[in-house]
Amino acid sequence: MLKKTGIILFAAFVAAHSCPAFAGSIEFSVNDGKGKPVADAVVYAVPRDGAPSPAPGKAMIDQIDKEFVGYVTPIEKGTMVSFPNHDKLRHHVYSFSEAKRFEIPLYTGTPANPVVFDKPGVVVLGCNIHDWMSAYVFVSETPHFSTASDAGRGRIENIPAGEYDVSVWHPRLKSSSKPAPLRVKVADEGASKADFQVALQNVWKAWRAPAASGNGYR
Amino acid sequence: MASPFRFKSFRTRILVFFLGLLVLVQAAVFISVNTASIKSARFQIDDALKITAGVFGRIMTEREARLLEAARLLSGDFAFKEAYATRDRSTILSALDNHRMRIRADVMTLVSMDGKVVADTLHPEKTGGEFGLKDLVSSAEDSEFGEAASVVFIDGKPYQMVVVPLLVPMPDAWICIGFLIDDRFVQELKSLTQTQVSLLRDSQDGTSVIASTLPFFGREALKAAFRADAPPQMEMVLGGDKFVSFAVPISHGKDKVTTLLQRSLDEALSPYKRLKSALILLFALGLALSVAGGVLMARTVTRPVRDLASGVKRIYEGNYSEPVKVEQEDEIGKLAGSFNHMLKGLIERDRVRSLLGKVVSSAIAEELLKKEIELGGEEREVTILFSDLRGFTTLCERHTPQEILSFLNYYFTRISSVIEANGGVVDKYIGDAVMALFGAPLKNEDDAARSVRTALGMRQALIELNTEFEAKGLPRLSLGVGVNTATVVAGNMGSTTRLNYTVIGDGVNLASRLEGLSKKYGVEIIVSASTRALAPGFVYRELDTVRVKGKSEPVGIYEPVGEAGDVEDAVIKEIVSYHEGLKLYRERRWDPARKMFRALSEKNPACALYAIYEERSRELIENPPPAGWDGTTVFHEK
Repeated sequence: MLKKTGIILFAAFVAAHSCPAFAGSIEFSVNDGKGKPVADAVVYAVPRDGAPSPAPGKAMIDQIDKEFVGYVTPIEKGTMVSFPNHDKLRHHVYSFSEAKRFEIPLYTGTPANPVVFDKPGVVVLGCNIHDWMSAYVFVSETPHFSTASDAGRGRIENIPAGEYDVSVWHPRLKSSSKPAPLRVKVADEGASKADFQVALQNVWKAWRAPAASGNGYR
Repeated sequence: MASPFRFKSFRTRILVFFLGLLVLVQAAVFISVNTASIKSARFQIDDALKITAGVFGRIMTEREARLLEAARLLSGDFAFKEAYATRDRSTILSALDNHRMRIRADVMTLVSMDGKVVADTLHPEKTGGEFGLKDLVSSAEDSEFGEAASVVFIDGKPYQMVVVPLLVPMPDAWICIGFLIDDRFVQELKSLTQTQVSLLRDSQDGTSVIASTLPFFGREALKAAFRADAPPQMEMVLGGDKFVSFAVPISHGKDKVTTLLQRSLDEALSPYKRLKSALILLFALGLALSVAGGVLMARTVTRPVRDLASGVKRIYEGNYSEPVKVEQEDEIGKLAGSFNHMLKGLIERDRVRSLLGKVVSSAIAEELLKKEIELGGEEREVTILFSDLRGFTTLCERHTPQEILSFLNYYFTRISSVIEANGGVVDKYIGDAVMALFGAPLKNEDDAARSVRTALGMRQALIELNTEFEAKGLPRLSLGVGVNTATVVAGNMGSTTRLNYTVIGDGVNLASRLEGLSKKYGVEIIVSASTRALAPGFVYRELDTVRVKGKSEPVGIYEPVGEAGDVEDAVIKEIVSYHEGLKLYRERRWDPARKMFRALSEKNPACALYAIYEERSRELIENPPPAGWDGTTVFHEK
């Protein structure tokens, strides 16, 4: 019952924000310059004629089997993110990133208060007791963003027609060679194109050893 | 045997041989042990150095692992991440220092991802500057886990350094942790491995010794001797000591760092040096013992040999009284035994020889001993002398056989000495007769003259004997001597077991006949024409030409009067006139011959010859002989 109510509420929320009725989209692709698709790249479009009205929502980053679900999670600024823990053990989620410093000390289940990401930027998530657990939250100022699939492709839907600066971000993006934003015109109908070539660099993660105690707990 | 190494003494030779052998063997042992020792020491050093190199490598790896673990721990340390997140330099620095002290590291530095120093425990005041160890960071960037380790130099000091990313949880800075490599470190290694350890830095400024267990002067020498491009294994002399070195490169960067592991060869050889001195001592001891033993041995061997030699010398000098005394039972003893046996033989032989000399004449004894005694003989010209004692039978009637024997022995001794003095050989004594040989077994040029001289000598000896006999009241004796030279057979005659050296032949018989005839002609000596012809140096009186029994040929017979020159002129004159009478007699002019002989006889009545010929002439005048008469007298009786 409660679930049903949630869905109706969510539908109303979407309807309220989905005007104007006509909107275009941007189809994008990201490769690493050697023809290899770059998955998890976040492509976002900033309207050239002023900031769009933000419409922050809610998001979830689950922890399952001592990993964050979703390597890269793009959210709009102001989004409340909850960190439900589906493992049988506790996690200690933290971030020391400038965009959002927070810490949810050892907990189980879903913490009572979701975390509001109110500054745009990249927030790197970690777990204090599981060094290898890491995830990125891309806090976007614009609501027009999407992540690339494993094929390095994606589509930003529901973009009002207009001119946009389309940028790309990726956790392994070499900061020295970040591609310049593409200027893309979006029509009311049809999809515009944005293709990126990015240079990636090595990023070292803490190494996750094979579970010493097998799969006896989660 | 013209060798320069000739030792006269047997003893010396034995000694020299054994000592030489000993020295040779010992020298061979010494040399081989020495070579093997050095070789083995080198092998040991090489092995030890290789092991040490392994140990060193392992230690370096472990230190590196320790550093890495510490860095990784820090990288995951939430408290440090929180401290780092404060961005407060002092907080970060003290957190770094705190962690550094936990693991007893010497340096810890936090470097931002873009290469700026965030905090450095070595230089607390420094911040924001460029991090010096760019190479280290870039090699970490290129690695799989963002980690790197190397030996680096900070302010000229060597550090073993690692770098890992600070993960929050993604890399956000570089954590560098390092251990100082100093003398303490190499000392620890030395105490662990008993090996000299030196760390050398080879940079553009040249070689420098970073750390070393060597004393100061050794370091200086090492600096000079070390070559970075030399092979890993080499030998070098440091401060007079020879070192075997093994180089382990530990950093290949701009500043090449090499660990040099060294072991002293002299030290490794010291046990062998003790062995060497023990060997020398043993050698000296062995030599001394060998000399002593050798002298003793040589003496025991050579003393009997010398005894034997002196015994032989004694015997050589004719002293047979002492046998050689050797009481050993070895070869020398056997030799001495044989020698004594031989000595017995020698004594026996000498006895036989002296006996033989008495039984036969010494010349014959020599002849018999000289060669193999065998029956048979050889033809040779020999002058045979027979002498007989006249009136001996009468003597025998008046005396005992004992007296007669001693008388005869006395006589024979005198007569024999005359014969031997003239080089004659008494062949045998036959009753009162003596048979002597000249020319057998030994030949002389003047054998005939010697025999005539002997005959004359015997006549003279008899005169002297008679004087002695008269003094003793013994009767006078007279002598008959016959001498003939002829070719006869001389040799050993008799049976195979008993034999005589003698001569046989017609000539022997004739000599005997002539001796018998002497009485008939009233002379003491008769010499045959053959002897006279061979002995011209005497004055002869021709007696007759006779044909004796058993001989067809007539033989001229003569009486030797004396040596030419010794005979008085009156006697010669008498002989000459006698020879004239003899000539008349043979020419059948018996009448004048008779007158001549009578005249001679009246002048010298002692000579019976003249009377004989006067009587013969008278008979021939009365009974003249047939026409074929040649003046030869024929004797039919013996």
